[in-house]
Amino acid sequence: MVSLTRRDFVKLAGAFAGLALVGGAAYAARTQVQRMALAQKKEPLELQYVRTFCSMCGALCGIEVVLNGGKPIAVRAIDGQPQTGACGRGASLPWLYDNPLRLRKPLKRVGEKGEGKFVEVDWDTALNEIAAKLKAIVEKHGFKSIAITHHDIWSGYMGLFQYLFGTPNRVDHSGSCFGHGTVARRHTFGIEHHRFVDPDYDNANYVLAVGRTISTASMGVVNRVMRNENLRIVVVDPRAPEIAFTSAEWIPIIPGTDAAFLLSLIHIIISERLYDEEFLMRFTNAPFLIKPDGRPLVEADIREGGGTTVYLVMDAAATPPSLADHRRATRPLLLLPEERREVTLKDGSSVRVKTAFELLAERAAKYPPAEASKITGIPKDTIVRIAREFAAYRGVADDTWYAAKNGNEYDVVRALLILNALVGNIDRRGGLVFREDQGFPSFVTERTVEGRRVAETVYGARMPEAMFADRHAPRVDRVKYPENTSTFDVVFDAILKGDPYPIKALFLIGSSPMAREMKTSKVIEAYKNLELLVVIDVLPQDDVDYADYVLPDTIFLERDETTDIKWSLHAATHVQKKMLDPPPDVDARDALWIMFEIARRAFPERAYALGWKDEYADHKRYREEFMKSFEEAVKSRLASNWRMDVAVVRRELDEKGYIMFKPKEFGVRPYRTALPTPSGKVEIYSLRAVTVGMDPLPDQRPPLYTLPKAPNEFYLVNGKSPNVSVHAALMEPMKYLIERSVWMNPKDAERLGIKDGDLIELEGIDTGVKRRARVKVTERVREGVLFTYAQSAGRTSKLLPPDHFAREGINPHHLNDARPAPGTGGNTHNTSVRVRKVM
Amino acid sequence: MRLAYLWDSRKCIACGACIINCAANYPELRFEKEPNPMWKWLGANIRRVIREKGKPELRLLSCQHCENAPCVTACPTGASYIEPETGLVKLNKDKCIGCKSCIVACPYGARWLHPKTMYPEKCPGPVCEQLIARGEEPLCVAVCPAEARDFGDIDDPQSSISQKIKRHRVSRMLEHLGTEPKYFVVR
Repeated sequence: MVSLTRRDFVKLAGAFAGLALVGGAAYAARTQVQRMALAQKKEPLELQYVRTFCSMCGALCGIEVVLNGGKPIAVRAIDGQPQTGACGRGASLPWLYDNPLRLRKPLKRVGEKGEGKFVEVDWDTALNEIAAKLKAIVEKHGFKSIAITHHDIWSGYMGLFQYLFGTPNRVDHSGSCFGHGTVARRHTFGIEHHRFVDPDYDNANYVLAVGRTISTASMGVVNRVMRNENLRIVVVDPRAPEIAFTSAEWIPIIPGTDAAFLLSLIHIIISERLYDEEFLMRFTNAPFLIKPDGRPLVEADIREGGGTTVYLVMDAAATPPSLADHRRATRPLLLLPEERREVTLKDGSSVRVKTAFELLAERAAKYPPAEASKITGIPKDTIVRIAREFAAYRGVADDTWYAAKNGNEYDVVRALLILNALVGNIDRRGGLVFREDQGFPSFVTERTVEGRRVAETVYGARMPEAMFADRHAPRVDRVKYPENTSTFDVVFDAILKGDPYPIKALFLIGSSPMAREMKTSKVIEAYKNLELLVVIDVLPQDDVDYADYVLPDTIFLERDETTDIKWSLHAATHVQKKMLDPPPDVDARDALWIMFEIARRAFPERAYALGWKDEYADHKRYREEFMKSFEEAVKSRLASNWRMDVAVVRRELDEKGYIMFKPKEFGVRPYRTALPTPSGKVEIYSLRAVTVGMDPLPDQRPPLYTLPKAPNEFYLVNGKSPNVSVHAALMEPMKYLIERSVWMNPKDAERLGIKDGDLIELEGIDTGVKRRARVKVTERVREGVLFTYAQSAGRTSKLLPPDHFAREGINPHHLNDARPAPGTGGNTHNTSVRVRKVM
Repeated sequence: MRLAYLWDSRKCIACGACIINCAANYPELRFEKEPNPMWKWLGANIRRVIREKGKPELRLLSCQHCENAPCVTACPTGASYIEPETGLVKLNKDKCIGCKSCIVACPYGARWLHPKTMYPEKCPGPVCEQLIARGEEPLCVAVCPAEARDFGDIDDPQSSISQKIKRHRVSRMLEHLGTEPKYFVVR
């Protein structure tokens, strides 16, 4: 019974009057009752702030979770934390915890693969059945027939899983992300990971971001960029990334032509002599002499018994300039006088040499601004202006994160790195710098103890070499792409054709190949041919429908973890703190526990060798004993690596949530310490590329898909935003914040008679696959190009409600073909499509 | 004391964190199919407006805390008022009759109708109100990774917001209407 006071009555009357505008009286009366019930609720806040790191995407930014009455309601940035701040993904974490979509119980498939028909089973049933199947697979096909893939979640523990299951085949997502760039970095600096080489955003004057959308990645990076009031940002992208809303300059470019743009900048900087000659002479291999066969001239070429890695330069310290070991030369020439080109070899023959710098200049000269303008669609004057600004400001060209798009990004990143070297802005304040060594322990390492090889875990368990099984067999994708970081497409070949050897069981841990890999139809076909597909996740990604078993993982708010701070130049570590138990109806377990328990049931001796005990079958006991000692071991190893008292490390992590070990020290490599390249220097001309038969200099190569030609044909590019990750994309706020339409430039729309909101059909030119989507007409995308967000739209899982918003739009990987890049094995995500208006 | 908001358009990367954090003010709407039917938006007090023509342009719109607030003038019961201690425009729900005059009167479209209570909601929401009363930052400011947001006392020349207003080129939206908004936009 609702009793009304006089004042309530007045309000009610007013409400009726107003509501005539929006709806019927019955509706108004109903809502009025709810309204008053809610209005009476004025609960005081019971706030609690817990510091942790966000795992809504792979960047792992430091955040403070705001809990009200023990439930997460919001997030905050942490002042002073080296990688602080949450984006829309992080802010949506309160929706993850009690999301109706959360996987709640272990599921076993009962229908056909793809039907999405499952029954709930208890943990013992699921784990015993998986273990029995795995055992049978291993008996028939060996341990290497097991593959594991992942993204960011649990990534630190993957090394353990490889020993646990005796397989080399941990093939991660990197080929779909930063793989091309990683190979390019290795070939230029000898340093691989994109985290280890990054601009010093805090002190930079000018950041050129080509194919790199700063705003999509770590918010710690965004924080550093935006705090720097003196920084000018130029982004080059076929669509306006979110950072184009800021004071940044956006230069639209034709997809897949970034290398031509960059080589043109290199050409201008060289021809106008805007480069840092001293840096190039002393710290790069620009003065190295290159023979007509493309190989460097070494001492062994000219002298019996000479060194094969003693690279020669022409040293102007002598008169006339003469050949010298690059390490001893004081004035190595970048440009050779014609009369010094002829070099006599030890067999008496002679060759004409050029310097690496001259070869770079020749290569770049293929792309004068007028020519580059034709290729890239960027006005000639803009190219010239950017080149001059870059040199004048001593800019830094960002070395990319998410840039696996057209299949030719190896050359793009090589050109970017060379551009930085040309202006001498390497490991200097405001330049492209090398991150401090983190001193963070690996969770498992191989070493020799008392003459025996063992795999030793951070918590002290030792697996003897005799139990490594196939751990050191060639990784399935490395057989085909030895230079790659990962090429998951090869895992599908291994499943479908046994090429190079069969993969029969696959674990997906917190990652969705259907959202990240090329050619979805191939992914599905491979899934259907697997003997065992196990998905360990928290939400129903599309892949779940094809799984034999789906196992609910805990979310990051429900467990402890320690890791290095990934997107900071300093050496620092932060912790994730368990602040919640899973909701009562969610029977989730840690993926770490799941993998060990499967192993204990299939190959008990392997689990025991890595420190597992039967008692840990009790998840609570595993948390209290195994995880606790694991975490403690990580902290004490950290303390010993940094020669600190473990009590201090523990206290700082407990109180502040993070600890700084060493601030970034500039000017170390290549100045005081050699780089791990063959020459020890920055390699303008990549000697590693020469060894593996790749082009040692960047060039503009065509994208790996058919280019659009007809008036109704377009490039289809995809990308991310600060709202995009496979998990965040399913959170309710993203219904409103992510645009699931396909963007089209107004000029193209007008030409084709298409209006904003129209439905169009897109047909992949290379695959013939057709999908439908609504159009957003916007100048945020270049003419001739369509754009859509990756991972966020066109979802298909039958476990999603039929009207779920993530079903809208397209998953661009439905339309593209599987074309890994030769050499790097990196993915090609963009493609071309034919467009037809539907209504 | 006059409390005001600042949004730095030069720094905002449209990540949406402020908008989503703002939705913490309305936990009862988190999983609603239509949490904010009037705006076709989530249950939050901040709206995102994107200009699709010309250079990409973004506006984040929420209550401007006008010194000469049309919603206050339009309110027949005095439910909408300017809090004397803070200068913030607030709603006394005990006096609100749900007539929606304030929604119509606001030239910024900063108010929306809560689909369950039918109250005209606006910034600051109930959680932020309590945070501000405790001297803490509202949730949109506390989360911003780009430090594009600020909140504070513009009567205190030493406050961070006053310093930013002094240092940068700032404007206020629809200033010509004479509403005297206290939502400063750095351009």
